[in-house]
Amino acid sequence: MKKCLIFMLLCIFAFITIFPFLWMLLNSFSSESHIFRLPPAFWPDLLGTPNMWDNYRTIFKEFNFDRYSFNSLFIATLCGIGQIFTCSLSGFVFAQMKFRGKNLIFSTLLITLMIPPQVTIIPEYFIVTRLNWLDTYLPLIIPSFLVGSFGTFMFKEYYETIPSSLVDAAIIDGAKPFTMYYRVFIPQSGPQMVTLFIITFMNNWNDLLRPILYLSDERKQTVTMALTQFQSQYTAKWNLLLAGGVLSVLPLLIIFIFLQRFIIQSSVSSGIKG
Amino acid sequence: MGKHRLAWYNSIYPWLLLLPTLIGLIVFRILPIAGSFYLSFTDWDFLRAPQFIGMDNFREAFSNPSFLQVVANTLLFSALYVTGIMIIGLFLAVLVNSKVPGVSFFRAAFYLPVVTSAVAVGIIWRWILSPNYGILNNFLQIIGINPPFWLGDKSIALFTVSFIQVWKMSGYYMIMFLAGLQDIPISVKEAALVDGANSRQLFFRITLPMLSPTTFFVLTIAIIDSFKNFELIYTMTRGGPQNATNTLVYDVYLNAFVHYRMGYSSAVSFILLLGVGLITYLNFKMKKRWVNSEY
Repeated sequence: MKKCLIFMLLCIFAFITIFPFLWMLLNSFSSESHIFRLPPAFWPDLLGTPNMWDNYRTIFKEFNFDRYSFNSLFIATLCGIGQIFTCSLSGFVFAQMKFRGKNLIFSTLLITLMIPPQVTIIPEYFIVTRLNWLDTYLPLIIPSFLVGSFGTFMFKEYYETIPSSLVDAAIIDGAKPFTMYYRVFIPQSGPQMVTLFIITFMNNWNDLLRPILYLSDERKQTVTMALTQFQSQYTAKWNLLLAGGVLSVLPLLIIFIFLQRFIIQSSVSSGIKG
Repeated sequence: MGKHRLAWYNSIYPWLLLLPTLIGLIVFRILPIAGSFYLSFTDWDFLRAPQFIGMDNFREAFSNPSFLQVVANTLLFSALYVTGIMIIGLFLAVLVNSKVPGVSFFRAAFYLPVVTSAVAVGIIWRWILSPNYGILNNFLQIIGINPPFWLGDKSIALFTVSFIQVWKMSGYYMIMFLAGLQDIPISVKEAALVDGANSRQLFFRITLPMLSPTTFFVLTIAIIDSFKNFELIYTMTRGGPQNATNTLVYDVYLNAFVHYRMGYSSAVSFILLLGVGLITYLNFKMKKRWVNSEY
């Protein structure tokens, strides 16, 4: 009886969560005239016909979404690689080495994580213009190769649990810091790397503020940014906009379906124990 | 960690290995925060050199009714978001913590909007809420309700946008609450059941108090998170209608990169920073009162 009620509640909430996605997907197979029919038709007119991919073909061919998807993929992948590199290194240092100012630096790293990006964006924009990085991917990618709060925190927490016998054995073998990091710590951090890569990939794929500020060349846009531009330029082309929406969600959906345990684990490990 | 280790690294190594992080921290975080603080006392259009004008930006902000509305909007959005996300997050966590068929499917489903971009979420919901062609309003008309303009009516647009942010983020908070629920030892619940507690007593007298450290942590995250609504506002309303959904993060963008008032915008961003800091500080101050620290 009680389980029945819980199951029903779960179904209601699942409907509220999934229906909007489903509605977007269905409508992305509508023609422009069909999508504005009243009352709204549940079944899209193009689905199942030879023209069913028309909207997708149009946004790819006429609106360059193939190019934008590639741009997003390129930026998000590099950011993910950068974060793995820099966060595992700094996590290693914070977990295994002692030095003056360690706590201060680590706290600064964590505190700056809570600050909304809008607080730092104006001086950052100035720095980016001074470096001549406007209209390049550098301001979107380079920061990921330098600093990451969440990743550093995650690697530090994990590297503190590596058995000290292992570290001691490597010390006796004469391992120097870089060998230690590379031979002892890196080989043990596969899951952490996957998690951090996915989180970074998602955040950068979805980012909006920095692309709209730093990219003006139309060919360089990211998918997320292109969607907002498309939305304000072609207010009546909902069938195309929704197809673009599907396209922007799809890669993340695929990653999520196959690697959800890494993603869900990360939202737990982001601090419950800290 | 061993306390009496051989010296396996020269004291220069930590700094050497931390070099990328230090550069990044200074160039992309500390310098911009300091720069933003300095700029908030200047008049700057980005082309000429900044002019120092003292507290004028702050004075202007607080004497400007539309800025005060932005502050009110931000606080209302935060209050609605934090309340919504805490209640629904906990409710979903309790639901998916029970042993019913397909529970892992439900967990994944609720998490789906979290991985979706706010831009895509904004587009989906603008279509659903569209006044004439949206499925929601058409459905409401069929069942005889006269539907409002969800995003066009300035008295409800902010509520609509906060609801959508709650819809998007509930799964994230569900997972955090779920981890907390699963940390509560089963023996305690069993003992309470043996003592004759009913399920309502079990929840309010045992589960909720024992969950309080998690609740505190989740609340802290939720408050910080509640200010980060730029993408959704940008996609759904651009601060409109008539400033009704303009929040601090969007106002910073608007003043800096649409009106090119960098100094004034920095002042707004600093007010935002102080607000986030103050609320987080108060939250930690009050932690003692309600967090069950014995557990």
